[in-house]
Amino acid sequence: MSGKSKQLVEHLFRTEYGKLVASLTRIFGTSHIQLAEDIVQETLISALNHWSVDMVPENPTGWLIQVAKRKALNQLKRDKMIQGHLKTMQLVNNASTEADPVFIHDEIEDSQLRMIFTCCHPSLTVESQIALTLKTLCGFGVREVANALLTNESTINKRLYRAKISIRESNLPYHIPHGKELNNRLESVCLTLYLIFNEGYNSTIGNSIIQKDLCLEAIRLAKLLANRFNKNYKLCALLALMCLHAARFDARIDNKGAIVLFEDQDRSLWNNDLINIGMWYLKLSINHETLSAFHIEANIAAQHCMAESFESTDWQSIYEQYELLEKIKPNPVIRLNLAIIQSKLKGIKSSLAMLDRLSNNKALRNYYLLPATQGIFHMKLANYADAITYFLQAKKLKPSLTEAKFIEDKLQACRDLLSSN
Amino acid sequence: MQEFLLILKGDGMNHLSPDELQNIMSDYKAWVDQLGDRYISGQRLDESGALIIDKKSGIITDGPFLESKEIIAGYFLIQAEDQEEANKMACSSPHLGLYSIEVRPISFPKMK
Repeated sequence: MSGKSKQLVEHLFRTEYGKLVASLTRIFGTSHIQLAEDIVQETLISALNHWSVDMVPENPTGWLIQVAKRKALNQLKRDKMIQGHLKTMQLVNNASTEADPVFIHDEIEDSQLRMIFTCCHPSLTVESQIALTLKTLCGFGVREVANALLTNESTINKRLYRAKISIRESNLPYHIPHGKELNNRLESVCLTLYLIFNEGYNSTIGNSIIQKDLCLEAIRLAKLLANRFNKNYKLCALLALMCLHAARFDARIDNKGAIVLFEDQDRSLWNNDLINIGMWYLKLSINHETLSAFHIEANIAAQHCMAESFESTDWQSIYEQYELLEKIKPNPVIRLNLAIIQSKLKGIKSSLAMLDRLSNNKALRNYYLLPATQGIFHMKLANYADAITYFLQAKKLKPSLTEAKFIEDKLQACRDLLSSN
Repeated sequence: MQEFLLILKGDGMNHLSPDELQNIMSDYKAWVDQLGDRYISGQRLDESGALIIDKKSGIITDGPFLESKEIIAGYFLIQAEDQEEANKMACSSPHLGLYSIEVRPISFPKMK
């Protein structure tokens, strides 16, 4: 009963959930995403029960597909019994003759693409798009989605509910857009994936494992799209930028869970596979027509990944790219980055002057990174008293636990240095 | 030895995420292994089905029986020395917490 039984691939249930829901929605239509989800949930519970008593089958994925398919057909037959619907009859017939092709690999991929375009449909709010994508395509539970997005379960439930109602009411087709529509729709998908990635990458609150999973899922879905649309330069640039950032994920937090500043990161912890994939897509993204914000961000990330060391980074070039980025996408956080890079080019004092000017900017008033950066620069100049003032200011701006710990450590270091002088 | 039916009630697992489901699998395996030959059989019940009260009224409902916390989710048939031991086995089950478990002896004790 035990011992030699097959080990399941990590997250198998989660990945299969997304694939199965996408495939079943093909049978039931977008109005019945919830039904597809219920059937898949039921399938996974069956698997859990069977596999804990018997052995895990040789081909777990095949088992899940078989069971989900059977349950779907039963559901259709039952509906037919209730409603006597002609259309349902046709669906049952189609489903039973075409049942197998529906689940073969290409079809599953195709179903997932349809589901991506459905979940990221511009008629849904961005919040709903993100929640729906994470729930139905990535197979996260409601609680996990809530944790990842730093909100609560009832908010997520509401967003999911509204999204499904809206999909039903506008009777969204389950298809992959083409022609002129395709580019616009891809644009909206890219933006949603970018936001999911950023939720995972920029947040140091919450569970870091879930945050990393968010990034990897955004990459997985973008790759799925890029397999089909590799001539879409923006998509390739987005994929490049996500891979090149995610490559540094493990180096950002030390083994005690504390933040490691970019300049102190152990570059041997960077993930070379992701860097290579990122560079490959960066190459694919180069063209004569489009230069998007994704392109520039990917370029900046690539330059960091390619630099031998922090010191040998080409700061001049990175500065120019941030300037370009600011023109495309004016944003005070980019100006903050420019000010920080200035320290590499013209020295810390010149950079501090830029930061002081930025502190009048309304949008940055509650942004803890600004005073935190000022604190670090003053510390480097051995102005420990000033550094303490800025760190205290940063502490007041409600940083996450990890960030607060980082600031607390710096504060302590400043106090120690002050008293030893 | 006597046979007992463990009746699992509730819809607890419907709210677990795929990851959570996969992660509790090892607990389930361990529980079944620990029961050894005391475990006879077990099944999960589908949420569909029918409720029939008498011949006259026919099928009252054909499910899904999703609404109730009282929904029977599945059963295990086990054997134990007595009710007390059967209760203990139910208590050690990883299903507890997700489901309530009714532990009912099969009326006729097995003759040996």
